[in-house]
Parts: sequence; C-alpha cells; structure tokens
Amino acid sequence: MSTFRIASIAALALGLAAAPAFAADTIKIGVNEPLTGPFAASGAYVVNGARIAADEINAKGGVLGKKIELVIEDNKSNPTEAAAVAEKLITSDETPVMMGAWGSSLTLAVMPKLEEYEVPMLVETSSSGKITTSGNPFVFRISPPSALEAEAFAPMVPKLGMKKADFLVINNDWGRGAAADFGKMLKAGGVEVGLVETMDAGAQDMSAQLAKIKGTDADTLMITAAVDQLTLVFKQMAAMGVKKRVVTTGGSQNPDQIVAQAGAAAEKTLHLTTFLPWDPAKTPDPKATEYFLAEWKKRGHPFAGATESFRGYDGIRTIAAAIEKAGAAEPKAIQKAFWEVKLTGLNGPIAFAKSGPEGKESGQSKPGVYLIEIADGQIGEAKL
Amino acid sequence: MTRWLPPLVLVVLALLPLGLKDPYLLNALIAGGIFTIGAISLNLLLGYTGQLSLGHIAFFGIGAYASALTALGFDVGLPGGLRIVHEGAHPFFGFLAAIVLSGACGYVVGRLSFRVRGAYFVIVTICFAEVVRLVALNWVELTQGPLALTSIPFMKLGLPGVGELTLRTKVQNYYLMLGVATLAYLAVARLVHSRFGRAMRGLKENEQLAMSVGVDATKTLTIAAAVSAAIAGAAGSLYAHYFRIIDPDVFLFAYTVTMVIMVVSGGKGTLAGPVIGGLIFGTLPVVLRPHMAPEAQWIVYGAVLILILFLMPRGIAPFLDDLFRRWTVRAKAPAAAAKPQLEGQP
Amino acid sequence: MDQFLQHLVNAMVLGGAYALLGIGLTLIFGIMNVVNFTHGALYTFGAYAMYIAAVSLGLNFFVALPVAIVAGLALGALIELVLLRPMRGADIDTTMLVMIGAGIILQSGTLWTFGGVAKSVPAPFPDAPLELGPVSISWLRLFVLLAAATLIACAYAMINGTRLGRAMRATFQDADTAALMGVNVKLIYTATFALGSSLAAAAGALLGPVYVIFPQMGDLAAVKAFAIVILGGLGSISGATIGGFILALAEEFGAGYISSGYRDAMGFLIILAVLLAKPTGLFARAERVG
Repeated sequence: MSTFRIASIAALALGLAAAPAFAADTIKIGVNEPLTGPFAASGAYVVNGARIAADEINAKGGVLGKKIELVIEDNKSNPTEAAAVAEKLITSDETPVMMGAWGSSLTLAVMPKLEEYEVPMLVETSSSGKITTSGNPFVFRISPPSALEAEAFAPMVPKLGMKKADFLVINNDWGRGAAADFGKMLKAGGVEVGLVETMDAGAQDMSAQLAKIKGTDADTLMITAAVDQLTLVFKQMAAMGVKKRVVTTGGSQNPDQIVAQAGAAAEKTLHLTTFLPWDPAKTPDPKATEYFLAEWKKRGHPFAGATESFRGYDGIRTIAAAIEKAGAAEPKAIQKAFWEVKLTGLNGPIAFAKSGPEGKESGQSKPGVYLIEIADGQIGEAKL
Repeated sequence: MTRWLPPLVLVVLALLPLGLKDPYLLNALIAGGIFTIGAISLNLLLGYTGQLSLGHIAFFGIGAYASALTALGFDVGLPGGLRIVHEGAHPFFGFLAAIVLSGACGYVVGRLSFRVRGAYFVIVTICFAEVVRLVALNWVELTQGPLALTSIPFMKLGLPGVGELTLRTKVQNYYLMLGVATLAYLAVARLVHSRFGRAMRGLKENEQLAMSVGVDATKTLTIAAAVSAAIAGAAGSLYAHYFRIIDPDVFLFAYTVTMVIMVVSGGKGTLAGPVIGGLIFGTLPVVLRPHMAPEAQWIVYGAVLILILFLMPRGIAPFLDDLFRRWTVRAKAPAAAAKPQLEGQP
Repeated sequence: MDQFLQHLVNAMVLGGAYALLGIGLTLIFGIMNVVNFTHGALYTFGAYAMYIAAVSLGLNFFVALPVAIVAGLALGALIELVLLRPMRGADIDTTMLVMIGAGIILQSGTLWTFGGVAKSVPAPFPDAPLELGPVSISWLRLFVLLAAATLIACAYAMINGTRLGRAMRATFQDADTAALMGVNVKLIYTATFALGSSLAAAAGALLGPVYVIFPQMGDLAAVKAFAIVILGGLGSISGATIGGFILALAEEFGAGYISSGYRDAMGFLIILAVLLAKPTGLFARAERVG
C-alpha cells in the first residue's frame, strides 16, 4: 500500500511540474478578466469581444507590422488573483499594455501594480468613480462612471415626467455609486428622491425590498444591477404587483436576455445603455457595428452578450490605435499615446479627457448613453 | 519530524529570492505566504483544540481594516453625536492595532461561543464572519464600504535613531512575510509545547478527564482563540499593506476555505502541516495556470485536494512523519538492513 | 399593515424552500456526521437537471420536476459510494474537505459545461399574480410552497413510517448497535446521502424556475441551509422545517423594517442570539451528535 501511495504522490508531483514556452514576434496585449467565479459570464463575453477585434486587426496586417497577441488570464472574480494576474502579465509575459479587469474591486486591486511597473491599462467595464479620481496616470477608461451616465440622463428626466424616484441598487461600488450620482442629479432637477434600497450581489430574493417599495408614492424606480438580478427583480415585481415606471442604469443589462427570461414582466421597462446593437444604423459607426455583430453571430455567441462584449472589442481597438500612435510597443510610449487616441467606437467617439488630481490624471472617455424601452417584447429607442 | 528540519526549510525559503528572479512567482509566494500565516493561526484552533473556525477570515479582514484605517486615518460619527477623528499614523502602529483588535475580537468570540462546541462553533464563526463582512460593506463612513480603501501606505519598519525603511519592493515584502510567518510559527510552537498546550490537547482528547484534573476549559479555549485571531490579524495587516487596497471582498468565504485546505491537507495539529499545505496550495494555482482552461484549473485543484486526502487522510505531515520513522527504524535494525528491502512493506 | 401582510406572505413562500434545503442537510449531518459541502452544488445540479429536462429535452414541467429529483438522488448515491464510503472512519474535518473538493469540481464542471450565463426555465403558470386584497403572490411561488410542503411531508413519513426510516433513526442514535441488530449501516449511509441530495436537488429544481439558474447559485443557498440546520438543531427534521420559516421571517422583516443592506445579517444575528442563549439549537434532542 505505501509503495502505491508513494508512487501516486510522485506521479502527482511530476504531473504538475514543467513550464510552457512560447516565443513569437508579436505585440502582446494582456487581458485580465473574470472567467470563473460569480462574474464568469460577463468576463467571457468581454474576452470574446476582444478576440474579434484582435482577429480583425491581424487580418488587416496587425499593428506596426506585427501581429497582436492577446494574453488572456482569468482573475477568478477575486481581487487578490486580479493583482497576481497583472503581475504575471507584466513581468512574465511582458505585455506593454493591458485591458481589464471588469469589476471595480478587481480593477482597483490591479491599479497599484500599474504604478509599480508603470504599465498602462485600459479599463473597459468598471464604473467606480475612484478609478479615475485617485491619481493613477496609467488608467484609461472607456466605460462611463455613473456620474457621466447621470449627466447624460438629466435632459431626459423632465420628458419622462418624473416627480419622485425610489432606488433599488446592488450593494457594491457600482450600485451605491449610481444611487449617489443619480440621486444628486435628480434632486438638482427638482425630482424628489425616496427610498434607497440595496440588495447583496448574490441575492436572489428581493421580495422584502420590493414590498417596501410597493408601499411608497414614488412614480419611478431606478434600478442598478447586473442582468441576472434585473430579471429576478422584474419577475418579482410582477408577482407582487409593483406598478411603477422602471429605469435601469449601468449599461450591461442585456435587454435581450431580460426579454427572454422575464417575458411580460419586463414590458415597458426603460434602460440606460451605451450601445444599440438592435439598430446598427443608429450607432455612430454602422459599418463597424454590423461587422462586429455579424462576426459575433458567426462565432456562435448569443446575441444578448453583444451589449457586454462590445466593450472588449472597443477596448482592444483603442489599445491597438494607441500602440500605432506610440510607434513602439513600449509601456511609456503607449501611455503617452493614449492621450492622442481618437477613434469612433461602437458607442461613440473614444477620446480621453483628464480626470483626477493634477499632474497624475487618469484618462476618461465619454461614451454615448441611450435610453431604450422594451415594448411588446421588442427593444427600441424610447420615444420621449 | 526532527529538530534540524524547520531551520533548514527556513534557510531555503530565506535564500529563495536570491535565485528566484521572477516577480510573478515572488508575488504568488508572498500572497500564498500571507494566507499560510492565516493557516498557521487556524491550525492552533482546529489542530490543537479541535474547534473549526469557518469564519477565520473575519479576524484576517478585521486586521486588514484595522491596519489600513490606522495608517490612513478616518473620521466617523457614532450614535449620540460622538465623533472620532483619527489622523493617519505610522503603518507599524497599524500592524500592532491589527494584532490587538483581532485578538480582542477573537477573545470575545471565543468567550461567547465556546459554550457551544463542534458544529455549533463552526456556525457561530460563519455567522460572525458574515456579520462583520456586512458591517464592512454597509458602514460606508468608516470603511468606505464597497468603494474600497485605496492608497494604503507601504509598511515601514524603523528603529529609533537608526533610520526607517519603507518596504516597497517585493523582496522586502517577502522577507517581511517570512519574518512574520516565522514568528507566528514560533509562537504556536512555543504555545503547544507549554503546559497550556497540554491543556489544549487534553481538552481535545477527553474534555471531562482534562477538566477533572483541573484544566479550565473555557479559559484555555478562549486564550487559544484570542492568540489565533491575533496572528490572523497580523496576516491581514500584511495583506493590506502589500496589496494596498482592501474592500469587503477581503472577507470572501473562499479565503477561509483556502486556509482550511492548507491546514487539513498539510496535517492539522502538526506544526509543519500548515506550512506544507500552504506551499502546495499557495503555488498550485500558479503551476496550473499556464497548462489548461480556467475551469479545468479549478477541477484539478479540487481533484488534487481529494487525492491528497484519499492517500493521506491525516494530512501530508503526519504521513511523511510515519514514513520517516519507519525508515529510521529500518535503518537502525541490522537484520532488516541485511537484505535489500525497499518493497513489500505493508 | 398592507406592507406587513405582504412581508408575511413573502416569508411563508420563502420559508418553504428554505425548509426543504435544511432538511436534506440535517439528515446527512445528523446521521452520517458529514459536513456536506456539496449541498450547494447539488442544489445547483437540481436546477440544471430541471433546465435540461424541461428546456433541452422539452419535457413537460411536471414531468421534468421528478426527473430532476431522481437525477439528484443518483448523483448523491454516486458521491457517497465513490467519495464517502472509502473515507468512512476518517476524521470529520477530512471528510468535510473531501466534500469541499467535490463541491469545487461540481461547480467548475457546471461552469465549464453550461457557461456562466444564467438560464431560465419557463413555468406553465399565468404571469399575473393571485391577488388577495392588498397582497399578491405569484402562482409559481404558490406551487413551489405546496410542492415543498408535499416533499417535506413525504420525507417525514418515510423517516417515521418505513423500515428504512426506522433503520436510519437507529443508525442516527448509535451506528454500532444498529449494525449489531442487523442494520446494513453502509446501505443506510448511501440511502441517507442520496435522500438528502435529492431534497437539495428538489429545492434547486423548484427554485430554478422562480429565480434564474447559474453555476454559483448554490453558494448562498448552502450557507442558508447550514444556518437553518443549526437553528433547528442537528438531525431534527421538524427543527429544520421551523428553522427555515424563522430564517425567512427574520430576513423579510429585517429587510422590510430595519435595513435591506443588513438583510442577510438578520438571519445570522438571530442564529448567534439563539445559540448563545440555547447552545443546542431551538429544538434540542437529547441524543444529538456533535
């Protein structure tokens, strides 16, 4: 028995040894996304979007005469791992620039590493205000923080006839930030703010919060949550007979998934989103949108993922543009070049404005924000 | 196993950064090492008193927050119009605050919950960790809630009159981790070899018997919990000043599971156990990463865990200990040494 | 008052599902002394089995439900035979860790097979809720409550009224004596684990259509199941049932009248309070293990 044991243990140890080797004359771009754990679905979408961009760029001859190579690593939806992944990408893969890391807590965990190694990162999804205001000059963000989203929503408020709004938000930086920024904007516009209810990230049953919301005199409910929780909220609202106008924020709602899963419960809901895949003609660059959607479909990905994955696509295209401008795949040069990047993303012009303390500003791009409505199971731009 | 092995391992670990130039691996060793310190502290409770704390990350997280907030400063209102304003202090005070506060929490939890043992203790600790996490999440004024505490300063070490060293580099942080781990190891070793340690083991083996010879069960267990929590708090402080950002995710249940895995697979109730388990499960994700899909890495991780326990149900350290003992016995017995006998042992 | 009634109805509906989750765990805990960390994974498995049966295979909703439950039963039996039987006699922490490993494998396997995108199972009930005065309740949830109650009653009858149930109870009280009296203890362990697993899978299959189905859905469910089991007292089916309702009431009213941020803390605080006041749980049984 013990011989067998020792043999098995030795085999186990041997099987785990040995390291890989790769070498090619390519420009590497690090991609740090959650591929396992609670955010796995979203991370996979972003990565698949990024792959489309990389293949498209390489088909056209690459950047600076070299092909680009995505080095994709899983951060396990865990901040400690996100930092470790950044460390690996920068030091062992020697990627001169990265994209990541989906959630704000993941991105924030990576940021000290950027300062340590002076490598720039494009932030494609995170919404926390802190990312661009804490004085990290290596951060360039294309997703809107909630303050920008609220600003874009402000002119629509009077058209909707809102008088008083309640909030139901996910209890993390994203939800709390949205409640604070939208609340401020609404109050400034003369709209009363009622309840601010929160739900835990993993929570499946929001009936208690909704029972409370059901009893208020607010006409509108503002919701910030990921698509799965939105679906649950809509179903539970219908089940409890909560009848209020619903506006969701955050831009990763996947309205198609909501229609498919919440059905009639999602009727007449309004959603603030940053990308309009349902109507490519109305997007800022219809040709690019059509190419992206066709490619997305060809690869067998579900259409619902497009509202999440386009950020990966735009992110890699932005990075490629910066490398081209920099003229070299060097972190310092790319960081400088990001400031000069100008391209039309799938959801509007991408150009970085300075944000945060002077001398150490981060870059923030200002994407388009659209209000869409689900009517008769169809998704379209809301008529105001 | 023997006297000379732990110092030898320490020397090897201390020399490691000289040969190891890959910062990614060094980072993994530091992170793994910090959780190994947590595992060493957990082992004191689980291995020596037999009480499983499945909320051990609470003490780790409290340490991380205490240390970060001491170093960063805070301004918080309390019920009754009270206001506490604290200017940022030297990070080393943060480290001390982490030990003291976590230790105090350990004392209170131990005091309250050692009335319940076994499975009930498990659940009390889970509940405690969950409540602490929710406080960290919702008490935004103090902890910034989900917005995270950022820009936590590097740890600084200094001697009055000699000068001060800011631990910026990985190598420096590696030695800090190794130093704290060594101290934690020595503290636990010292404790379990004392009269107090005998009392703990006595309670684990046979509580009634131990009490009949005058062991104060509650006092013994409470002190073990306080010491264990204090060490976990120290690990949390290292985490905060190394990663320089913390948010309520530092209370992830997965971290507790990691520590339990390190202790039990390495061999609970042995001094070497958590260190061996920590080395294996701290580096396993790094080893697996380049070879397979992310989901497969987790599957292999789980399979390795099960396999280790199937082959060595008491953990690796006791298994190696047995092996070593059998080997020395055989070497000493001349009759057995006469003929080559490497196989056929039961 | 209207709001109070709505909270009460919500709590009742939620409590039924919680009870179902708790009972499966308490059986395994009580009889086998195994801290079953695959409980959450089995809950998830039940939901995915329901998805495969009802959506992929296109079976009728009411046919798919028992199919999912039987699938859970089979997986539970398999886990017991492959992982727990060889580990019999090992330390409780060791078996717990083996279960943690199995849980990691099951969850990652689910993610690998189905991806992380949430799935949903359509239910053959009207979307419009049943309205009783100021209170509304969805038909699906009402069905879940009734189905849960039926399953709980079946489990109860099986434990108390059948030969197998008697053998289980005997094993619970003293495995060695039971073995001497001719009880096949190995079989009882397999049956217990399979039964507990099928109840977890049933909870998943029932709640999957109510919520959405994704690989990590079992994590929170498992923590709640543990809480319920401790609240009610180890190995006590009636305790787990009542514990499930208490937890649901605490969460519902805690979130409704105190703070939704602390919704999940309410349950845990109650458990802490109960355990500190009465360290053996609410429904103590003299012969309890642990």
